[in-house]
Amino acid sequence: MTTAALVHVVVSGLATGSIYALMAISLVIIYNATRTLNFAQGEILMVSTFVGWTAMQVLRAPLVVVLIVAVAAAAGLGWALERLVIRHAISATHFDVLIITLGLSLMLRSAAGLVWTHDEFPFPSLFGNRPLAIGPVRLAPVSLGIIGASLALMLALYALFRWTRMGRAMRAVAQNQRAARLMGISVERVYSGSWVLAAVVGAVAGVLIAPVVFLSSKMGLVAINGFTAAVLGGFGSMPGAVVGGMLLGVLENLAPLYLPSSIKHSVPFLVMITILLVRPSGLLGRVARRKV
Amino acid sequence: MRRAALATGAVVVLGLPWAVPRYFVFLASLIVVNSIVAIGLNLLSGYTNQLSFGHAGFLAIGAYTGALLTIHAPALPVPAALLVAGLVTAAVGLALGIPCLRLEGLYLAMATLAFGFVVVEAILNLDWITRGNDGLRVPAARLGPIALATDTARYYLTVAVAALLILAALNIARTRTGRALLAVRESEIAAQASGVHLAAYKTLAFVLSAFYTGVAGGLFALVVGFLSPDSFDVFLSVDFVAMIIVGGLGSVPGSVLGAAVITTLNDSLAGFQNYRPLIFGAILIASMLFMPGGIASALRKLSVAGAAGYPGTAPPAAKPRQGDDP
Repeated sequence: MTTAALVHVVVSGLATGSIYALMAISLVIIYNATRTLNFAQGEILMVSTFVGWTAMQVLRAPLVVVLIVAVAAAAGLGWALERLVIRHAISATHFDVLIITLGLSLMLRSAAGLVWTHDEFPFPSLFGNRPLAIGPVRLAPVSLGIIGASLALMLALYALFRWTRMGRAMRAVAQNQRAARLMGISVERVYSGSWVLAAVVGAVAGVLIAPVVFLSSKMGLVAINGFTAAVLGGFGSMPGAVVGGMLLGVLENLAPLYLPSSIKHSVPFLVMITILLVRPSGLLGRVARRKV
Repeated sequence: MRRAALATGAVVVLGLPWAVPRYFVFLASLIVVNSIVAIGLNLLSGYTNQLSFGHAGFLAIGAYTGALLTIHAPALPVPAALLVAGLVTAAVGLALGIPCLRLEGLYLAMATLAFGFVVVEAILNLDWITRGNDGLRVPAARLGPIALATDTARYYLTVAVAALLILAALNIARTRTGRALLAVRESEIAAQASGVHLAAYKTLAFVLSAFYTGVAGGLFALVVGFLSPDSFDVFLSVDFVAMIIVGGLGSVPGSVLGAAVITTLNDSLAGFQNYRPLIFGAILIASMLFMPGGIASALRKLSVAGAAGYPGTAPPAAKPRQGDDP
């Protein structure tokens, strides 16, 4: 294996990894606010990408508009799901909320199939397709574009959490919900905000990944790798989600080079089992301590 | 009263093949098989408050083990084949449970979800033994001199095995192990303080759950007669979860009811494949929002006789709510 080829594999691994990282971030955003896992995250991504795609088909809209439409659809969907369904289960257990989001994911996927069929559709890329040559290394602009756009979004999220009122409120709720409430933070608004923000991150990930995996009702399954990425980085940690996602993407792309190629789809599972055995709190996670 | 109800039930269950068309005998066998899986899944969720989204994977392991034994060792009596199917699956469950159940929270749900995909992938890649996508035809099993070649014979086999497993599940709470599991369910911290090894007992519940599902898998292979990897996708795992949610978490009769409802629904919606997940999703959400204990607890609320429930049906104590630290 030449170095150039290796660089190529690693870069495309980082590109898929960026998407896993975005999925992991969106799962962690909701987890940190509500301590529940959102099984419908992948389907929110899928539906909002489909809505953007429909805008493109109907209005002949340019891709930037598609992105905006997808993000707006995601925000609306995230808000509506939280407000109309999840909020009613505010006193339910984590377990119950998990089942409800599972139900939502089934319904969204099925509804998407009824509206847009279960076929696969090609999706244009925001980035050109002329390979970029740096010395002997040729890189696909799609990969570089995905990595760049994901990093930009991550920086924006960092800024949002660091400097905005809503971001501070979210961090406060993540640390201690009761104390946050006593400080006058509306925890309900943080719940809403988290769902909207997570859905928006998902929509961007959807528009970025759709050219690579095709647009289909199945594309929400990428969320499973998002789970793994979040566990790998340490569930609940944002930087962990980024590191876990990138690492998982690279591992998934490298593994078939050294092991039988059929291993590729099993990599996330193997990574998850290994990390749970070796370092259950994840690479960057803190060891959870529980008060009795 | 209770005895009369049980006797009526037994007569209905045993007389069914003589009263209904052949297809319904097949469907009833499938309901019984699914009941075993649901009971197994409920052993896990009822006692450890954890969910598995990979039970289709366990079912597949049991089914392929049972089928391969029937093909390559036709002399082996059916109960032995089923036992081996259960044990192999339990061993896989042990290997999966050890890393996942040391931790609290959502790890098991996520790991089992990924596990389900790996099992399907493995079946596809081990095609020299599983025949991959071509599928595996399962010959009629033999019980001594009798070949279980008819739907009725297979139905009685599944009912007999299910009866044994149901009895075991109902009585588990009376054993030392069962009491430890009950303690874990009521309060993990209190159980731990009383010297119950939390991770060990949770793993045990998971292994038991895998064993039940493996045996059910062996029966599934015999009842359906044809195995292919796409019958064990993640949606089957979701169906199993739906069974215990609809039937009632932690309840053995609820598991059977849930299996009956979901299997029948699945069968009647066969012509409306596109709407099936929509309806199932709605059922899951509605059960959670409006009928949290499932059919079992709804019935219990309606009937006074419910007061005479067996140990292990009481609703669990306070659980962490949305927003609390799990």
